[in-house]
Amino acid sequence: MSDFIIHVAIMSGFYALLALSLNLQAGFGGLMNFGQIALFACGAYASALAFRFDLGVVSGFVLAMVAAGILGWAFASVGRNLQADYWGIVTLALAEVIRIVATNEDWLTGGAQGIGGIPPLYPGLDNQLRQIAILVTVALLVIAAGLLCRHLMGGRYGLAIKMMREEPQLAASLGYDTIAIKRQLTVIAALLAAVSGFLFARYVSFVGPEQIDSSETFLIWAMIVVGGLGNNAGAIVGAFLLQFTFAFIPFVKDWIGLPTEYVAAGRLFLTGGGLIAFIVWRQSGIVPERVGGGRYV
Amino acid sequence: MKRILLSSVLVLGLAMSAHAQEAVIGAILPLSGSSATQGEDQRRGMELALEKINADGGVLGHPLKIVTEDSAGRTATALDAAKKLVSVDKVPVVLGEFSSGITIPIAQYLLQQQRININIGSSSTQIRSLGKGEFSVLGLDDVSGAFAAQDVFSSGAKKVAVIAPNNAYGQGIAEAFAAKFKSLGGAITSTVLYTEGQTTYRRELQQLAAGEPDLYVYTAYGKESATINRESFELGLNEKKWYGLYLTMCTADSDPQYVEGQIGMDLNYIGGNGADYQKAYEAKYKSGFTSTFNGFAYDGVMLVAAAINKANSLDPQKIETAITEIGKNYEGATGPIVFDADGQRSAQPYLRLTIASGKAVATQ
Repeated sequence: MSDFIIHVAIMSGFYALLALSLNLQAGFGGLMNFGQIALFACGAYASALAFRFDLGVVSGFVLAMVAAGILGWAFASVGRNLQADYWGIVTLALAEVIRIVATNEDWLTGGAQGIGGIPPLYPGLDNQLRQIAILVTVALLVIAAGLLCRHLMGGRYGLAIKMMREEPQLAASLGYDTIAIKRQLTVIAALLAAVSGFLFARYVSFVGPEQIDSSETFLIWAMIVVGGLGNNAGAIVGAFLLQFTFAFIPFVKDWIGLPTEYVAAGRLFLTGGGLIAFIVWRQSGIVPERVGGGRYV
Repeated sequence: MKRILLSSVLVLGLAMSAHAQEAVIGAILPLSGSSATQGEDQRRGMELALEKINADGGVLGHPLKIVTEDSAGRTATALDAAKKLVSVDKVPVVLGEFSSGITIPIAQYLLQQQRININIGSSSTQIRSLGKGEFSVLGLDDVSGAFAAQDVFSSGAKKVAVIAPNNAYGQGIAEAFAAKFKSLGGAITSTVLYTEGQTTYRRELQQLAAGEPDLYVYTAYGKESATINRESFELGLNEKKWYGLYLTMCTADSDPQYVEGQIGMDLNYIGGNGADYQKAYEAKYKSGFTSTFNGFAYDGVMLVAAAINKANSLDPQKIETAITEIGKNYEGATGPIVFDADGQRSAQPYLRLTIASGKAVATQ
């Protein structure tokens, strides 16, 4: 059982990084990024490609950061004058383009068959110890990312971003370059998401186009909506809560003795019902956004 | 969270006390998500196997139990399921999944934990290199693709066009077919990989026709193949021969007038266990096979049950030895199953079929 809980905690950690990243953009910046999974894909595919072409882990990581940085910059730049919802559609489209390229360019990405056999993190350790080492690494990263986000959003910069979200014209009239702010924000968020993707690929040892389907983006959205948009702790709480709920639904199924043909239906019912309950009774999420100023101002 | 943990511990306790005596094996299937149709069909095959095994006295004197988990067609969920089956249900064997992209990571994990994975639905040739403890009850793409290429070539076609779904299965089989067909001296005029779920495939079909092939090779799941067959009829492409890879799957949902005269290959369900199995399936589910995958799921469960009985133990090592032993010559519903040194089904007896008066008829 403890092995299982460690595994779920590690997966939650990956999603917490993605949720923090999306929360920076959507929660604080009001940037409705529906292509979040593409930033994750940069990390995952960089990790896999570095393995496939024998480039080494370090250059794989550099590749992940560069690719995600460029994509984040592109997200912010393409259609920078569009309204939030139209911008969201552009990001969704860009992410789909990336998925389709990954599916079809099999000389590079292995196509629909993906890239398998990626060596794990800490290959020298035995299984049990490795799981714990990965858990510690992921936990430290989540804490570091959480502190970074708190630092960024707690200061003047965070206030500028919130102002850009609420009153873009006011922000511009006060001399803030809103386009530059959006670019910086998406690039920082992109790097966080790519770290998650990079480690995820090493953890599951396989990368394929099914992993970067747009439905994954909406799972991350669900995490920050449940946790609380515009709150860093909320993003982490949402990621862990959803991931643990998903992982423990099979136990509920065993417990009530659901016949196998209803396994999937039960899962969909519980997750769907849970989300609706949240939207009806607790719209601001578990940890609502704190209104007001930063502590560093 | 605390409550969830508590209840899960409770559940675990209940589960263990209730089934301490039974042989329990695991299965991970895509019961929701984009491959749910095939996943449900795999589940049907397993259910039939379970009924037969338990009617015949079960495994080690107790009814066999399968803990089936939904992968939702996602790697992450499937991996959660695999970890649950190993560390909580403590199963020695896990069957599944359907997509190669999910089978490979879960199999890697299972083998690392010294458990056995029975591949019942993925045909990527990458599965061959996974290692000890991995068995495939279906022939991988190289087996089926090579058979079809040989068959098409000997039918006299020298220039063919190939259309297949743009997923791991379609890419794999199209590639294996092309490699073998070219080595025989044939030419592929074009290969089109289509995106599933479209309302029309006219553009793809016109692209295929542009190369003026002697014969069209296609493979598609029920719904898509219905559209492809109708539109190729409307475009007049059916004047040339059509060859279906897994023909009954390709023609299951199509209007008979559009597929009349098509030829193709499919799994062998005729004679012995196969015919009985097909009858049992049709009687229980009141329809023909939805896909070709239920038979492999059935064979996978039957094989594991036989191996556990032979090993007289639930120890994965002993079961593995028993599977290797039984797999030297096992008579399955999908024909004889013989594993090669890598635990992969080395040959598969396929049928050559022709659609005549709306029915698939075997021709040798």
